[in-house]
Amino acid sequence: MRIAVKYCGGCNPSYRREEIEEVLRKYFQVSYADSADLIVCISGCKKGCAAERARGEFLHFDEKIKEEEIVRKVKEKLLLK
Amino acid sequence: MMTGKEYIESLRKYRPKIYFMGRRIESVADDPITAPHVNAAAMTYELAHDPRYEDVMTAVSHLTGERINRFNHIHQSTEDLVKKVRMIRVLGQKTGSCFQRCVGCDAMNAIYITSYNIDRKYGTEYHERVRQYIKYVQKNDLMPAGAMTDVKGDRSKRPSQQADKDLYVRIVEKREDGIVVRGAKAHITGAVNSHEIIVMPTRALEADDKDYAVSFAVPVDAEGVKMIFGRQTNDLRRLDGDMDCGNAKYATVGGEALVIFDDVFVPWERVFMCGEYDFAGELVEVFATFHRQNYGACKVGVADVLIGATANVAEMQGIARASHVVDKITEMIHLAETCWCCTLACSYEGFRTPSGAYMPNQLLANVTKLNITRFPYEWSRIAQDITGGIVITLPSEKDYRNPETRDLIEKYLKGVAETPTEQRMRMIRLVENLSIGAELPESMHGAGSPQAQKIMIARRSNLEMKKEMARIIAGIKEDEHFRKIRGVTEREFFSKLK
Ligand SMILES: Cc1cc2nc3c(=O)[nH]c(=O)nc-3n(C[C@H](O)[C@H](O)[C@H](O)COP(=O)(O)OP(=O)(O)OC[C@H]3O[C@@H](n4cnc5c(N)ncnc54)[C@H](O)[C@@H]3O)c2cc1C
Repeated sequence: MRIAVKYCGGCNPSYRREEIEEVLRKYFQVSYADSADLIVCISGCKKGCAAERARGEFLHFDEKIKEEEIVRKVKEKLLLK
Repeated sequence: MMTGKEYIESLRKYRPKIYFMGRRIESVADDPITAPHVNAAAMTYELAHDPRYEDVMTAVSHLTGERINRFNHIHQSTEDLVKKVRMIRVLGQKTGSCFQRCVGCDAMNAIYITSYNIDRKYGTEYHERVRQYIKYVQKNDLMPAGAMTDVKGDRSKRPSQQADKDLYVRIVEKREDGIVVRGAKAHITGAVNSHEIIVMPTRALEADDKDYAVSFAVPVDAEGVKMIFGRQTNDLRRLDGDMDCGNAKYATVGGEALVIFDDVFVPWERVFMCGEYDFAGELVEVFATFHRQNYGACKVGVADVLIGATANVAEMQGIARASHVVDKITEMIHLAETCWCCTLACSYEGFRTPSGAYMPNQLLANVTKLNITRFPYEWSRIAQDITGGIVITLPSEKDYRNPETRDLIEKYLKGVAETPTEQRMRMIRLVENLSIGAELPESMHGAGSPQAQKIMIARRSNLEMKKEMARIIAGIKEDEHFRKIRGVTEREFFSKLK
């Protein structure tokens, strides 16, 4: 399953956004492409800029979250497809 | 939507038990001590009918589709958050005081957001009750007070550890039809001239504090509710005419009361949290975020009036063109607009919560309020500097009206020849009202003392990331972008220079 990551601009993130991508890379094939099986938006805060332009099916992270939670959410979303 | 006049009339239908200086206040709308606060709150109703202000003063309810007063709105976008602070600044300018209604607005938004989260975890039905309650408030255009601050006794102890168990509001009985609560809330703004009181816990709680995890709403005249109206500096000047107060029409600060819940019954449909201690901290933080957002708007609106008063005094005393005066007034404007920047920023950076309602950015809302614990002291210092010692030595209105002393005051307290002495006196009194007295401690403690904001700022900012940035810039940690820019590592790049 291919995952495309879209970041917000990262002006004042409340956690290290790259942690999410690092987890994704452990379990899935990740790129920065415009299309994939799932778009994962990573915002640094609750303002959620990464998701502002997202269209269709996507998953959005905007805070620090446990590794297993990230994987669970992505799998859940992929299964729904 | 009620007009200002209709709001005042509506208060006459309630019979709250209010005590002040050893007596009962029979009609809050008419008593000279409380009437100016009533006028300030009435402004929130009146401006909703003025086409020049209705864009900020009103909103469309997402619950009913009806146009409502924005104070009873659940914010549906960051634009709503921005309009809220624009409305609040305007009201600060129109009253030069606290118009009180923001606390209930914040309480409604906070319980709306948190009740949704409680229900998701526990399968309770609080959120639907909150929605029904807000519909009722919107339909009748009511003003609820927001009561969070408990009296707290020994601050080093949690509620359940206090020697007297009633020092935080708690549930003393659960019945089939509702709960019975006891305790007291301190400094409650506008409580005496509200229609309803919304109660929330004051701090994060632990399992032993379960009975203190309670949120509910009751009418101000519910059986067992008693209010003791607080004294303010110079409050009895209200009985002495319209000059000495400085702001006789709208008073200063909100008119705060100690609100006592002496075994008050609350029916289930008005209970919004009942024992879910693990959500008390969240409710406090959400409410505090909304309320701290406001302070960068209301205090700035009031500062606009103070800046204007100071500039008028400078003109009336012939110093308006002195370069240090121009500089100091510009400094006042700079300080006020800095706070305005903060409140706009936290609003624009707001976000959607799972309930669908929007709330401001927590970090920036706390920064907003922390600045308000400082900057008003500085702009007040400048106002006092420019006004001169007369700001605390001006003779009374009674002496000005006394035929024996009137001419002496007219002659000796004149400033520039063109300004009537009475106008100078009124302007000096306004500076006194806005820069000395209750305004300043309100800036300090309203919406939480400075330490409360410091704690939130520390918690919500990402210090680890800043440390890492410094490690990268100092050359301790590899800079991935530098490598891309130069095609070699920093070490390789700089080794050539050695
Ligand atoms: C004009 C005005 C209007 C207000 N309106 C409302 C309102 O409408 N609704 C409402 O709910 N509240 C209202 N408040 C209350 C306001 O939120 C409180 O004043 C504020 O939270 C501080 O609480 P306190 O006054 O009890 O002071 P305290 O909590 O006693 O604070 C005094 C000092 O003690 C420190 N302190 C307190 N506890 C601890 C601790 N455990 N450890 C270390 N230090 C501690 C504080 O940091 C502060 O420096 C209002 C206050 C004012 C002044």
